[in-house]
Amino acid sequence: MLTAVKTRARRGNRPFRALLAVELFVVAALVAAPLLLWDRLDLITLLTNVMILSILAISFDMCWGFSGIMSFGQALFFGVAGYVIALVGRDLDYSVIWGVLPLAMLTGLALAFVFAVFLLLGRKTPSAIFVAFGTLTGSYAAERLVSGWQYVGAGNGLSSVKLLQLGSYEFIEGYQFYALALLCLGLVYLMCRFIVRSQLGLVLAGIRQNEERLAFLGYRVQVFKALVFSFAGMIAGLSGALYSYHQGFIGPGNMGPGLSTTAVLYCLFGGAGTLVGPVIGTVALEMLSYGLSDVDAIRQFWPIILGLVLLVVVMFQPTGLLGLVVSARERIGSYGARDRRSARI
Amino acid sequence: MNETESTFTTSRRGLLGGAGALAAAGWIGGTAGSWLLRPGWAHAAGPIKMGIATDITGPIAGAGNADWQVAQFTVEQINKDGGILGQPIELYLEDTASDPKIAVGNVRRLIQERKVDVVLGGITSAMRQAIKDPIVNRGRTLYIYPQLYEGQECTKNLFCTGPTPAQQCDKLIPYLIKTVGRKRFAMPSANYVWPQLLNKYARKVIEANGGEVVFEEYYPLDQAEYSATIGKIKDGKVDCVFNTVIAPGLLPFAKQLAESGFQRNGGVLTCVYFDENILNFLPANVIDGSYSCLDYFQAVDDPFSKQLTEAYSKRFPDTKYLFTGGSAATGTSRGIKFYEAAVKETKGDLHRDAVAAAMDHGVIANGPGGGSSMVPGHMHCTMNMYTAACKVVGDKAAYQIVDKADMVDPREC
Repeated sequence: MLTAVKTRARRGNRPFRALLAVELFVVAALVAAPLLLWDRLDLITLLTNVMILSILAISFDMCWGFSGIMSFGQALFFGVAGYVIALVGRDLDYSVIWGVLPLAMLTGLALAFVFAVFLLLGRKTPSAIFVAFGTLTGSYAAERLVSGWQYVGAGNGLSSVKLLQLGSYEFIEGYQFYALALLCLGLVYLMCRFIVRSQLGLVLAGIRQNEERLAFLGYRVQVFKALVFSFAGMIAGLSGALYSYHQGFIGPGNMGPGLSTTAVLYCLFGGAGTLVGPVIGTVALEMLSYGLSDVDAIRQFWPIILGLVLLVVVMFQPTGLLGLVVSARERIGSYGARDRRSARI
Repeated sequence: MNETESTFTTSRRGLLGGAGALAAAGWIGGTAGSWLLRPGWAHAAGPIKMGIATDITGPIAGAGNADWQVAQFTVEQINKDGGILGQPIELYLEDTASDPKIAVGNVRRLIQERKVDVVLGGITSAMRQAIKDPIVNRGRTLYIYPQLYEGQECTKNLFCTGPTPAQQCDKLIPYLIKTVGRKRFAMPSANYVWPQLLNKYARKVIEANGGEVVFEEYYPLDQAEYSATIGKIKDGKVDCVFNTVIAPGLLPFAKQLAESGFQRNGGVLTCVYFDENILNFLPANVIDGSYSCLDYFQAVDDPFSKQLTEAYSKRFPDTKYLFTGGSAATGTSRGIKFYEAAVKETKGDLHRDAVAAAMDHGVIANGPGGGSSMVPGHMHCTMNMYTAACKVVGDKAAYQIVDKADMVDPREC
C-alpha cells in the first residue's frame, strides 16, 4: 500500500507525461488526416491500410512487449481470419459487419488458443525460443498448406472479396473505410491499454521481467500467457478481416513468416511495450517505404536501406523510436488499484 | 537474478537482430516504386494517362521488364506520330513485384493517385485475379490483360490480348503427337489457376488425338526439389513433358529434368510460354529442342514484324528483355494498339464505357506476328499462331517455325 501511495505521489510531481502526449498527438493526427488530405484518396487508402496493419502490430506488442511471449506467428491468425471471411463472402454470400467481424475475432481467438494449448500449456515450461519457433513454424506451415490447397485458391489466394456491408452500405476503400479502421484501432487500443494498466497487466509485466519469480509466488504463469496470447490472436484476426475487406484480396503471403516478421519490425521500430509505439512504427515504416520507393536514385536498393535502418534501430536503440522521448520509468508505467477485498485478506 | 535477466535480454536481442537482418536481406517486401514516361509535348486536353502494372522485380521480372520496355516503345511510336488524335499518351508504371499482395496496393496508386484512363498489365493469372477487382470493380477503370492464360476471364471491361488455351493447344498438341510422334505426356504444374485450367483443356486435346496423360501434378510455386517428379517421368516412360511450372520453381525443375537425361534419351519438353526471353529464366542447354506455340516468334518474317523488332532493338540495344510472345510483350503491344484504335473511334472520349464499346469490335491491321481483331462480345481476340522448335545458337535461343495457323479464334466467353 505504501509503495502505491509513494508511486502516485511521485507521479503527481511529474511535470510532463511524454507517453500520454504522444498518444494524444497520434489520435489528433489520425483524426485530422482525412480533413487535411481530402483530395488525396490514395493517401487515405494507404493510411487506412497502415491503421489496419498497426492493429496487427499491437497484437504482437501484447505478446512480446507486455508478456514476453516471442510470437513469430501473428500473421497466421491475421491470415486465417482474412481467409475465413473471404470464404464466407464467396460461398455463403455473407458480409454483414455485425456478423463477420466477430466471426473473424473468434477465429483468431480459437486458433491462438489451440496454439497456446500446444506451445504454452504443455507439461514442460516452454522457453522463449521454443515459442518463437513454434509460432514461426505454424505460420510457415499454414502458408505452405494454403498455397497448395485449391479450395482456397492455392497460389492465387482469394480475390474479389465481397464488400463489407453495414445495412445497405458497402465499404469500399476511402473515407468511410478510414473511419471504420480508425474506430476499430481506437477500440482495440483502449481495450489493450485497459488490460496492460490493470492488475492483470502488472502480473504480465512481472512475467515479462522474471517469469520464474512469478511462478514461485504462486502465479500460474503459463495460464496467464495463454490468456494474453489468445487475446492477441483475436486482435490479429480482426485486423486480418479488415485487411481482407479493404484490399479485396488475401493470399498465402498474408499468413506467412514474412508478414509475421514485418509485424515484429513495426513493433520494434516504434518501441515495444508502449502500445502506441507499434502504431507509430507501422506508420513510419510504411510511409518510409512509400516515399523511398519513389526516389529515383535509390529505387533499386531501397529495401536494403530500409533493412539497414531497421538493423541499426534494433541494435542501437532497442527501445525503438519512442525510447527517444519516453523514459524507461514511464514505459513500465503504473497499474490500476488493487482489489480492496483481496488487499484486506 | 542478474543472470536470469541477462540471458533473457540476450535471447531477446538475438531474435530481434535476426528479424532486422531478414529485412536487410530484402526478404520482407514493401511497396515498390513507380516510374513515369512523359511525352515530349503537350495538348490542350492534357495527356491520355495509361497505367502499366507489371512485374519489374521478383521471379517474373524477366517477363515484366520486357513488357515495360515494349510499352514504352509502343507509346513512344504513337506519340512520335502525333499521339491519338493529337493527344499524347503519358505512361505510368507501377511494379507489381511478382507478389499479388504488394500489387493490390500499387495498382491502386495508378487508379487513385495517377487517375489513369486505362490499366494494362499483370502476367500470371494469380496477379490478374488479384488486381482486376481493384481496377475494374472498385476502381471503375478499363483493364487490358496481355498475357497468354487459361481462359474463362469474362469480366466486363476487361480485355484479354494474349493467346487462350484453344489458340495454343489446338495446333501444338496434334503436331507433337502426329508429326513429332510423342504420345505419353506428363503434366508437372505450378499450383495455381493457369496450369489447372490449361491442363484440363490440354488433356482433352491430347486424349482426342490418341495421346495419353501419364500424370498431372501440382507443386507449390517455389518448390525446389523435383526428384520424385523426375522419377515418375522415368518410370512412366513419359516421352513428352507438358510443363506449366513457372518461376521460381521453373529453374530447378528444368535443370533436374535435363540432368536426368530426359532430352538426351529422346524426350521432348514443351511449354506454351517458352520464347526467346526464356534465357532470362533458364540456361540454354535445358531448353534446346523444346516446343512452344505462340502468337509471335522472331523468326516470323512478315515485313511489318521484322521492321517492328528492328526498331525495338534500336531503341533498346543489347537488352536482354526481348520483344517476344510468351512474356506478354506482344500482348502488351497489341493491347496498346487496340486502345489506340478504340480512342480514335470514340473521337477522344476517354470514358470507360465508350472506349470499351469501341474496343469490343476493334481491329488492328498489323502487329507482331500479324494483325488481330476482337471477337465482338467476347473480350478476346483472334491472332496468328505459330508452332516452333527451339534451337540454341551460341548463347541465344532461336525458334524455328514448324507450323502456322492464320487468325485462330480464341473460343472464349
